[in-house]
Amino acid sequence: MTKPVELPQGTLEMLILKAISLGPLHGYGILLRIQQISGERLEILQGSFYTAIYRLERRGWIKGEWGESENNRRARFYSHTAAGTRQLKAATAKWTDMAAVVASILDKKADEV
Amino acid sequence: MSRLAAICKLWQSIAPRIHSDVEEEFRSTLEAYQGDLIRQGLPEEEARRRARIDLGQPAAQNENYRDAIGLRFFDELGGDIRYGIRALRRNPGFAAIAVLSLALGIGATTAMFSLIYAVLLHPFPYAGADRIVNPVMIDHQHPDEWSWFVLNQAQFDDLRLAAPVDSALGFNPSHMEITGGGLPEDISGVYLTENAGTFFGVRPLLGRNIEPSDAENGGHAIVVLNYRFWQRHFGGDPHIIGQTLEINRAPYTIVGVMPRSFAFNDTTDVGDVYLPGSLMRNLANVPYLAYIPWLKLRPHATLAAANAALEPIVRQFAKEHPERFSDRWHLALQPIIVPFQQGTGHTLTLLLAGVVLLLIIGCANCSILLLARGRTRQHELAIRSAIGASRWRIVRQLLVEAIVISWTGAVLGVAASYWLAKLPLLLSPDSFPAESVIRINAPILAFSVALALLCGVLFGLVPALRLSRHDSARMLPGRGVAAAPARHRWSVLIAAQVALTLLLMATAGNAIHGFLGLMQMPLGYDPANVMKLGIMLHVHDSGEWSRIQSREARTAYIEQIREKVASVPGVSTVAVAADATPPYPGAEISFTIDGNRDGEQPQARVMLVGQRYFAALRIPLLQGRVWNTDENTRGDFIAVVNHAFATRYLLSSNAVSNALGRRLRIPALTGQARYAAASAQSTAWRRIVGVVGDARNAGVDRPVVPAIYVPYTTVMPPYVQFFVRTQGDPLASLHSIRAAIASVASDQQISSGSFNGTFTLNEAIQRDEQYRRQRLFSILFGVFSAMGLALALIGIFSVVAYSVAQRTTEFGVRLALGAPRAHVLWVAARLTLVSATAGMVLGLALDSFLGAILAHWMQGAFAAGSLFAAAALLALSALLACLLPARHAISVPPGEALRYQ
Repeated sequence: MTKPVELPQGTLEMLILKAISLGPLHGYGILLRIQQISGERLEILQGSFYTAIYRLERRGWIKGEWGESENNRRARFYSHTAAGTRQLKAATAKWTDMAAVVASILDKKADEV
Repeated sequence: MSRLAAICKLWQSIAPRIHSDVEEEFRSTLEAYQGDLIRQGLPEEEARRRARIDLGQPAAQNENYRDAIGLRFFDELGGDIRYGIRALRRNPGFAAIAVLSLALGIGATTAMFSLIYAVLLHPFPYAGADRIVNPVMIDHQHPDEWSWFVLNQAQFDDLRLAAPVDSALGFNPSHMEITGGGLPEDISGVYLTENAGTFFGVRPLLGRNIEPSDAENGGHAIVVLNYRFWQRHFGGDPHIIGQTLEINRAPYTIVGVMPRSFAFNDTTDVGDVYLPGSLMRNLANVPYLAYIPWLKLRPHATLAAANAALEPIVRQFAKEHPERFSDRWHLALQPIIVPFQQGTGHTLTLLLAGVVLLLIIGCANCSILLLARGRTRQHELAIRSAIGASRWRIVRQLLVEAIVISWTGAVLGVAASYWLAKLPLLLSPDSFPAESVIRINAPILAFSVALALLCGVLFGLVPALRLSRHDSARMLPGRGVAAAPARHRWSVLIAAQVALTLLLMATAGNAIHGFLGLMQMPLGYDPANVMKLGIMLHVHDSGEWSRIQSREARTAYIEQIREKVASVPGVSTVAVAADATPPYPGAEISFTIDGNRDGEQPQARVMLVGQRYFAALRIPLLQGRVWNTDENTRGDFIAVVNHAFATRYLLSSNAVSNALGRRLRIPALTGQARYAAASAQSTAWRRIVGVVGDARNAGVDRPVVPAIYVPYTTVMPPYVQFFVRTQGDPLASLHSIRAAIASVASDQQISSGSFNGTFTLNEAIQRDEQYRRQRLFSILFGVFSAMGLALALIGIFSVVAYSVAQRTTEFGVRLALGAPRAHVLWVAARLTLVSATAGMVLGLALDSFLGAILAHWMQGAFAAGSLFAAAALLALSALLACLLPARHAISVPPGEALRYQ
């Protein structure tokens, strides 16, 4: 069994942005999508999930619209705004850079440090 | 429309989502999750529980949402405010008193300062009034006296073009009469240089100002009206512009009405009408355009520099016209406020100190109330702290409450200041210049509001600070029963407040005492039932003028009128005089006494009066006699002096009888002035035939100066006064007196009271500057101290009321254990009584310490009587303010008091 991963602060927002980059999703959908992509390895603190959504919406990176879910319920679907798309791109680039730098340092052998 | 849509869109993007929206979304997620859990095989009830454990309660979601978008702070703040208001409403007495005392403190301070500012510090509506100066000549022999000087056009231009001068106004006050109507009416006109409009920068109420174009063609025949004249003469007719006013038998078009605040010239005499100065050229009897100058200095010119720059110019004038300058003099540029403040002296400082004291008392009061309240909150705060409230939350709660109180008080105070500023005017409308427009002074309002708010915040936070020092557990059980900590901060405040109030009251007592003394001061004459009537001879009507131009004809005309007036029923004595209205009669003139060394130039007040003057004013004859009718007609060789004159100039030994028979001459008594007629020997030696008692002649409060009375026929100006003593109210006879005058000369006008004229001598006293000032100060200090007293009493009352309410249980226990009621009463009021007494002692000490200074400043003996009266009043009211709420302590039945918790 794979070990669950705890998310560093602020990365949940990035994941939410990524999750809806394919198309609008409602809140529960986003949750499922993230768990599905991560291979069930991410333990998302349920309480903080909606807080992150609210914050993203407040910042104007995502926008919510009421619609109908797959099982005919009313649900709020979130999609990117233009600013959200830009933010995702920037955050992804930043994250990749950072991860690469950190990984390259950690990959060094002890005598190379 | 599109802008509206844009605003809507903007609002949608920033407005928080509504409660139900957030909740519905969450619920839908919850149900979807729950459905998944059921599908995974959980029983419905269990699924429901799990979903709520994992995702949270829908009810809490909205809070979560507001927290996430950063509204939580505001939500809590709103809660604090609601709680604060609820707490205040639970205790409306406290809220009312706190708000009231703050409102009174802020309102009173602002009102008083605004009043002083409007009346004494900045009474002028003119643009750049602080830069306007009045060049005056100061005689080295009499440095206290200064005189304005008159310039001709060329000289005026010299001053106007001088480097430090921004612009210059020339004016010339002139006696005029309104003709064309029924009875002619005396008015005061002022000729102004045509730059008046821009120089004053005052927008006219109606129409326009005098403009430079009015100087064209020798001056347009236009006139601008003074507000009061417009009210008096035209009943405030709004359609007056364009109408014609006949002045000195020539038509003038009315082009403007000035606002109420414009009262040029406040110092000499307020003009009824203002005319273009160029018109003066047309008057045959004006040899040149004569102007009194007012100069507006350039913004950064200092007074000293301007003085230095202008002095040589004026020196040059003195060379050209040596007769108009005394021998040794220097120029002084006097800010136009100076004549207003003359004699105000340190009282102004005292008044401002009073304002500050009032503000301090108000703030102290607010602080006392908040401290007292803070103590009762201690328990509640301890509980809040014990169940986990953070320091910051508690501080914020207290802060919010303090701000709610202070802010309400401040708002009410601002509103109150408008009313309070009018209070002294309502109490005594005559004491203030009619023109003064009292505006609330914004900087001082801001200052007192800020200070009060600061005070509220500082003292509102004290309980929070105290909470941190004692741990909450210790505070918890002690409510009511435990003896209160012995040291109260508010004791100090109460003492300080009482001391300051006593200081204010003592000062007020002093001012009132001084004013009462002024009213009771023997005047040396009897102003009751004496009326003054002025008549101006018809100098502008050449036909009539030729009839009364000679001295003899004029005397006969005046005596004829006098006899007619004397025959009116109810009139007992009528006397003729020229400018001899006490308490400022006559003019200071040099004279020579027979037998004294030459070169000595003593001065005395010289009054031109008829022989009945002394009887009409009831000035007693001490020695010798008054001249008779024949001597009065002749006018020469005779004089009467007052007692002060006799003692100063005539007595080599102590016998007054020496005075009689001595001779004096007054070189200045010539008929050189326009329209004046002098007797043949008016400047010749005069024999002193009588000595009369001292009647006030230098103002109501100043010692009588030496005076010489000579027959009015010696030098006759074109106007005379009649002093009419009647048996009853003189104004009641006015109508029949007018009729009597009209029977002699149908169009002889009576002065309407505008030109320095008052009808009764009592009014003349009331209009005396010193009298008015003293009355003003008494009123202001009276109002100050009343407000201070009210605040201090509120402070004392509320503190006692608070501590009693807080210690109800303790009193119940004491009473149950058999303590005498008097003792409980004493215990309840003790602390406050002690601090109030300490405050009284402090105040008395402070007062006697300042006593010497105050006595010096208030121009009058420092009255111990008024101090003790003030102290007694304060002590009595403080005692009442203590005992009234303390009575509550013994009125509660012990059983009930014990159940109070």
